Amino acid sequence: MPKVVIPVKEEILKSAERRKASGAVTEVSQHLAELIDLGFEHRLRQLYQQFEAGQISLEYAANELGLSVRDLYAALEERGLPTSNIQR
Amino acid sequence: MRDLVNVVFDASPLITACKFEAAGKLVIDHLLTGCELLISPAVEEEVAILGARYPDGVVAGERIADGRIPVVHVKTRRWEHHLGGYAMGHGERESIKLCGQEPDVEALVTDDHLAFIAATRLGLKVWMLPDLVVGLVSRGLLRVEVARAILEVIRPRYRAGVVEHSLEKLQEGEEDAKSCDSSQGRDFEVG
Repeated sequence: MPKVVIPVKEEILKSAERRKASGAVTEVSQHLAELIDLGFEHRLRQLYQQFEAGQISLEYAANELGLSVRDLYAALEERGLPTSNIQR
Repeated sequence: MRDLVNVVFDASPLITACKFEAAGKLVIDHLLTGCELLISPAVEEEVAILGARYPDGVVAGERIADGRIPVVHVKTRRWEHHLGGYAMGHGERESIKLCGQEPDVEALVTDDHLAFIAATRLGLKVWMLPDLVVGLVSRGLLRVEVARAILEVIRPRYRAGVVEHSLEKLQEGEEDAKSCDSSQGRDFEVG
């Protein structure tokens, strides 16, 4: 997995350190990586809801997520979600 | 020989058609026997270039390279302002504009609600991929058993009701064909 350096808010860093101290995670970075995954998932679900409601297109959602249409198609398929939002 | 159906494909139905296989062939290859299928450069970029690490991206790329799927540059600025306010991507806008630019295009094929609405409001004929499948059967360009197999295999990509609707249309078409005893192609009805 690629590693990047990012600024982290004090409260998030503290929470990660406490999680490590409690033994819930082995590394601070593990907790931060989990939070990033959750954030991405949340953003994806948020955009999918807008897509489902017909407010944005699939490509627009992909752009907002920083994915190609094909990558978003794969992400939705992986989650068992339809890639069409038309109901007839 | 029956006329081919000229259509413009948006990215999502193109991915679906290149990804799924039915009756021993990729869906795209079934469609290409009855369709002249055009795409815009933005759709090529999304599906065959950015999607090149997926098998369906390779499938699309091969058919673009050998000319079976022509990529047509969008030169027209028509409808730019009409489409500007919709939360759509470049590929969806280009696909709609391509329909307005190319004289012989019969319909836009998209599985996207906003593209469907925007194109319909511009007076274009718009079909979902399952509609095209049904339409090819009604014109004698695809066998009904193959169409059923295609609809079943692409079912997970659609919301509930869409494939059922198309299967019902196929059934109606079969019943009509039996009752009217005609070998002529019928009008393309997808509604």
